[in-house]
Amino acid sequence: MTKEAVIEVIKKNIAANSDDIDAASIDAQKSMKDYGANSLDMIEVVSTSMRELKIKVPRSELTDINNIDQLADKFLEYLNKTNV
Amino acid sequence: MSDPALSYSLADFFFNDSPDVLTPPSDFQAWVGNPNVQSAMRFFGQQLLAAPRAGTEVLSSIDGSRRKVINMTSYNYLGLSSHPEVIQAAKDALDRYGLGASGAPLLSGTFDLHVEFARRVAEFKQKEDCLLYSSGLGGNVGAIQGLLRKGDMFVLDERCHKSLVDGGTLSGAKMLFFSHNDPASLEAMLEKCKGKRVLVAFEGVYSMDGDLVRLPEIMKVCAHYKAATYIDEAHSTLMFGPNGRGVAEHFGLEHEVGVSFGTLSKSFGGVGGFVCSNAAIIAYLKGYSSPWNFSCAPSPPVVAGAMKALEVATRDSRLRDTLWENVAYLKKGLLDLKLDLGQSESQVIPIIIGSSGEKLFQFAYEIQRRGLFLQPVDFPAVPANSRRFRISVSSQFTKEQMDTALTIIEDVIVKGLRA
Repeated sequence: MTKEAVIEVIKKNIAANSDDIDAASIDAQKSMKDYGANSLDMIEVVSTSMRELKIKVPRSELTDINNIDQLADKFLEYLNKTNV
Repeated sequence: MSDPALSYSLADFFFNDSPDVLTPPSDFQAWVGNPNVQSAMRFFGQQLLAAPRAGTEVLSSIDGSRRKVINMTSYNYLGLSSHPEVIQAAKDALDRYGLGASGAPLLSGTFDLHVEFARRVAEFKQKEDCLLYSSGLGGNVGAIQGLLRKGDMFVLDERCHKSLVDGGTLSGAKMLFFSHNDPASLEAMLEKCKGKRVLVAFEGVYSMDGDLVRLPEIMKVCAHYKAATYIDEAHSTLMFGPNGRGVAEHFGLEHEVGVSFGTLSKSFGGVGGFVCSNAAIIAYLKGYSSPWNFSCAPSPPVVAGAMKALEVATRDSRLRDTLWENVAYLKKGLLDLKLDLGQSESQVIPIIIGSSGEKLFQFAYEIQRRGLFLQPVDFPAVPANSRRFRISVSSQFTKEQMDTALTIIEDVIVKGLRA
């Protein structure tokens, strides 16, 4: 799976979790917080994205992630582990 | 290499992918059954065999033995849970009223005791009226759920207690979290709330870090946006302020804050919660705060004990003076050991270990083996890079107990961090 495809999954879930954001307008260099997501929304987005990608990244590894792009990198790391 | 299971936590199993609701997530069973995870989990839910005094006894789950310990974990900050006058008041009420209230407050659960105690708490908190809850968590959930509706905005400090978050979820209001104690972040969130009803919540003392709300700055921003305000003084009531009324009194802003919440389980030494505000909104809440009107009223002996605790703690400043002497003594000892205490400004003193869960539990084991009851606090209760121990200082600590605790902390944590 490409990084772009992972980012699309995350964007789709951010949009699905919000009343007023459309996926196309989301900038991956920004944090979910910039789109008004609270920490509960972020848990929801991360969980639904991981479920869709069939991976399980420990929450403790997400502490230092600051934007959607970095989250996609972390997801990709686990996707590659799964595929080995 | 460490066991990968240890990098997972309860935060990873919240969403359940099992088709059957009565079956936990597929990987949860394997995780909780992992010997290394079980070894960490055994610290939680250990049995106390006596009152939560500074010296107590636990049934230690590290080896199944009864162990006399110095107790630095219970939040019996003023020692009131076992104060002789408090116990006597509770016993007298037990004889007169029985164990339970046997009714919801609106029907048959309101006793003269409840009315009198609520009046005294409202007067103490300098508010017009007060609602008493059987649980502290229930008080926060019930107040927020009773005050807010779908379409409203609930803005909280990101380190606020789960009970406030749960109240927000139940209310249907949209929740926004501002960066901890950051007025600029609060302002950015309130900008998003323009044109809507908004309530801002913060805590007097933050329970995992022991720092105080930056109340003057936070209140200034709230006033500018005409946002209603709610302070949770669970860890500050009876301890802060010239009269022990809390952090709002400490900053001279108690009349400005709209709602004042507190618990009866910490410095009061009992169990329950209270919500104080103007009389009109308290009367309204009685109709819409489910943990109040759909729950049995607080147990009469607990109410009588808490009423005596209020009297004992406020008839002079001795208990809180002793508490602050103990805080100063212990904090100096910990700082001399060059430990990271975060931003603590209160009787809640974290000892921050860092990101290693293995070290946290290795220290926890050794600390308890040496006779100190000091519980580890792990992710997700605190950030993964700042796992910690949390000391709850009590006015009951003796100098000898604090010196012994400092020696154990030095031997185990300080030397262990160097290793």
